[in-house]
Amino acid sequence: MKRIVVDVDRCSGCRLCEVVCSFAHENVFGPSVSRITVLKEDAFGFDLPVTCWHCRRCLAIESCPSKALTKNPEGLVYANEGKCTGCGKCVKACYVGAIKLHPERHTPLICDLCGGKPLCVRKCPTKALTYSETRLQRPKLPSKVLEETLRKWRIVA
Amino acid sequence: MPKYFGYAGRILRVDLTKNKIKTEPTEKGLIMEFIGGRGFNSRRLYEEVPASVDPLSPENKLMFATGPLVGTAFPLGARFNVSAKSPLTGILGDSNAGGHFAAEVKFAGYDQIIIEGRSPKPCLIFIQDRETQILDAAHLVGKDVYETTEIVRKDLGRRVQVATVGPAAENLVPYSGVFVNLARPAARTGMGTVMASKNLKAVVLKGTGSVKIADSGAFWRIVEEIEEETYAHPQYWPRRVMGTTRILSLANDLGFLPTRHFTSATFEHAAKVSGERLAREYNVKNRACFSCIVPCSRIYVVREGDYAGLYGEGPEYEALSSFTARVGNSNLNLALKAVDLANRLGLDAITTAECIAWAMELHERGDLDKEETDGLELDWGNGKIILELIEKIAYRKGFGDLLADGVRRAAEKLGKGKEIAFHVKGLELIQADPRGLKGYGLGYAVSSRGADHLRSEPFLELSDDPDKGMEKFGIPEATLRLAYKGKGRLVRYFENWCAVTDSLEICKNLAENMELLPLKRAAEITEAVTGLHFTKESMWEIGERIVNLERAYLVREGITRKDDQLPARFVKEPLPNGSSKGSVFEMEPMLNEYYEERGWDSNGIPKRQKLRETRLEYVVKDLKRSPVKTRQKKNLKERCS
Repeated sequence: MKRIVVDVDRCSGCRLCEVVCSFAHENVFGPSVSRITVLKEDAFGFDLPVTCWHCRRCLAIESCPSKALTKNPEGLVYANEGKCTGCGKCVKACYVGAIKLHPERHTPLICDLCGGKPLCVRKCPTKALTYSETRLQRPKLPSKVLEETLRKWRIVA
Repeated sequence: MPKYFGYAGRILRVDLTKNKIKTEPTEKGLIMEFIGGRGFNSRRLYEEVPASVDPLSPENKLMFATGPLVGTAFPLGARFNVSAKSPLTGILGDSNAGGHFAAEVKFAGYDQIIIEGRSPKPCLIFIQDRETQILDAAHLVGKDVYETTEIVRKDLGRRVQVATVGPAAENLVPYSGVFVNLARPAARTGMGTVMASKNLKAVVLKGTGSVKIADSGAFWRIVEEIEEETYAHPQYWPRRVMGTTRILSLANDLGFLPTRHFTSATFEHAAKVSGERLAREYNVKNRACFSCIVPCSRIYVVREGDYAGLYGEGPEYEALSSFTARVGNSNLNLALKAVDLANRLGLDAITTAECIAWAMELHERGDLDKEETDGLELDWGNGKIILELIEKIAYRKGFGDLLADGVRRAAEKLGKGKEIAFHVKGLELIQADPRGLKGYGLGYAVSSRGADHLRSEPFLELSDDPDKGMEKFGIPEATLRLAYKGKGRLVRYFENWCAVTDSLEICKNLAENMELLPLKRAAEITEAVTGLHFTKESMWEIGERIVNLERAYLVREGITRKDDQLPARFVKEPLPNGSSKGSVFEMEPMLNEYYEERGWDSNGIPKRQKLRETRLEYVVKDLKRSPVKTRQKKNLKERCS
């Protein structure tokens, strides 16, 4: 399956992906309504964009009490806003933190890959985001990526 | 719903004395005349902080402002200006920084934040989506910039943006900055000191708002044009690899690298401390400001030698050159440590280095006894002493207490070294020797905040291409870096451009030095974002207005031609070496031309007609009463009687 794959060494943390995403989906520039989020640790200069991996086994779908979250035929996680009660259980269930709630509608914001042409990938200035085939069933835990990166940079032994 | 887009539409006013929070609308009139950012700040400062105000008193006001393009996907950075009356220079204080703070100001729902009064106890301001709280900050007192940011993020959320000050500011060292994203300071003119004088340790922001634009078709068309130009630009890769540190080698080659306190224009160890070496041996990755497509900031890791294990973001050319060439240090690891220390303590690297270099030159001349320096041997490039002095300055200990007041006051207090205290209007010179760059030199002399290049940055003269001068200014010499003719016109042009760029809060490295945002395009993009009508001409007028208003502010403070001067060394001593060898700096012809271009009188005071042209009528009455005019009248009376 084609997914948005992140090269953490290339990401500059500019958050352009967040603002173009919010514009593509909500017609405004605002990271709080984007479907991609850049996790940042200024102390280490670490930046990691996080977005829905559309894992085969999705913990968010399993956690949803109102069955608002489902998979569409292509295997993408999808929120049925009509059924959603805004409880926010999916946000806690997703172990990479790819889901956030819309600050006003209180429904989950989940990456839809822009129908196969993700704008964040197209606009990424450093090509840290690519839209490519990957067999990895689930993404790495952000804290794990941080640890690996710091080891690679020899900031920690 | 406002009739214009791009702006948050609100201005926040926090009175720390009365614990009162107020919001005001961002008025259309203000937008059309000043756009935002630096323009907004200078306008308010002129109106609300008159000449009689002491910079460290509660009457001084600290202002943060951003521009209309900030928070959108506009790809040339997102900055904010922080302004107040400066405790270092006593005149207009203003500095700007990038990072992610500016965009968060917009997302939290404000265009400008004005902080007044003084809190009775240490506090921090927490702004979360138009809800503003003044919280206790007793637990942050004495903590350095990195620690404070970390503690605040632990308490208030990982994703908050923090603008904070270090211990140097708390000790009222008048050249400490406001720091965002740890290592991104708005450092010049001591804005951090003003913040600390209000007992304010941090401004913390978190916003879930968004920015709407008027014409998305035009917006994306212009953005795509800019993207295309940027990626094909010859400076794109050098900037991405080295940021501004690439200037160090360039300055060395062209002979304007201020070495050992401007006693030499080339540094024999330049290759050892250059941006190239930093990129090759230290850098691990690039970082960018909010929504910027040129990630010019770098994360370095010191892998071996002294201070192995040290890591951080930066440094840029000014800070790197400060703690290498300027103080005669050839140890790059040590320079990185010094920059890191200055950042943590919250100091302006340029001014700190000038103070240290000044003391070192005095020591070299034999004018400084060991007793006066607490037994420190101030030899050029003595690493341990540089680090010790930085700390002593920040905590005002011993000899550091003298240096902690800036080089102008230090020379006055010590009673020697006045002629080698390199400042204009109290602000210390940056890392470019004006003898090798005449336009920059003129820029330092007339800049509204003191010796600084970011008010004009006439980079075209680095090209040494007379055709450009002919084409743009009708004077071929204008773009030759060692020529004098046409520099007035050159500096005026760039000052206006910089004022507009600062008011849009866009990065000058990209907008200006890479020529990605000429005034015509600035007008187009502003129109697309705001839906208000702007043209190239109206942008030029806005630039002109801001520069004139800031000048009027200075005149009201008593600044005239006598203050628009460079220190004696640049005027009298020819450059000893390098490719600009033998040059001195002749001020008067350039200054005359500049005043004439500006429509100011021979004393550097804007003429009434000029003020009327730029719709600054309200300034006229203040200038009539300015101390200078009063003094002149008094002299005249005395002479007559």
